[in-house]
Amino acid sequence: MWAKIIFLISTSCVTLSVSAATPQELLKSYEDQSGKASAARGEQFFNTKHGKEWSCSSCHENPPNHETKHAITSKIIKPLAPSANSDRFTAQSKVEKWFKRNCNDVLGRECSNQEKADVLSWLLTIR
Amino acid sequence: MKSIKLISCLCVAMLSHLAYADSVGMPKNTPKAYETECASCHMAYPPGLLPNKNWQNIMQNLDKHFGNDATMDAKSLQEISAWLKKNAANWVSKYGQSSLENRITKTAWFERKHKEIGPAIWQRPSIKTKANCTACHTAGAKGDFSDDDVKIPAK
Repeated sequence: MWAKIIFLISTSCVTLSVSAATPQELLKSYEDQSGKASAARGEQFFNTKHGKEWSCSSCHENPPNHETKHAITSKIIKPLAPSANSDRFTAQSKVEKWFKRNCNDVLGRECSNQEKADVLSWLLTIR
Repeated sequence: MKSIKLISCLCVAMLSHLAYADSVGMPKNTPKAYETECASCHMAYPPGLLPNKNWQNIMQNLDKHFGNDATMDAKSLQEISAWLKKNAANWVSKYGQSSLENRITKTAWFERKHKEIGPAIWQRPSIKTKANCTACHTAGAKGDFSDDDVKIPAK
């Protein structure tokens, strides 16, 4: 019994240490895998359509510092900018999941590390 | 005698189930992953509103989920699929009839129940889509869709 509990606690600690992060740490990791981020490029990328029906701002609006609604279902989406929602960009697995889902919806492909770095650096400038 | 008792018990159970069918309910053991993986984009639809065949079709095609990417990690996929299977509408339920497009809103019962709602009402900004159950069903998040709790917004 105790062995099981200790095992569960230790595995959850490992999981936490792997995925917990700050937005700045995630930005640096994306920059390390590409190049220096540009907030201006990120802003343009976020607010432009990329050959499909939606831009990022179709659901998150511009600036994404308040609650918005999903473009199809009207479900409330919490603010995306870290200044308005401290939960954002603090778990790498969650960030990667949403970049994959949403980039496929907006661009029809996954985003590059440079695009992720640009968008995140712009989001960090929003107050 | 015993079998007559059993059959009457079953009949009572079926009738009471039908009588309360508008309150399909959310199972108490809803996995956290159902909230994070599914209900981030739409309300947490009660599993009892579609038969298992439709739910499994949905779960096996999450890369093309009604036009969106709703893929998730293997563990969440397995956990949610098993939970949906356990709590899906069965053949006794009025929601047990499968839907061709795997859409709750395309089932015969849905269309029958909403036949008085015209296009102008669906298009109101606070409703916008048939998928937005809670716009009118004030207790919809709890899986309660009884007529008494319907409040259609004016705009």
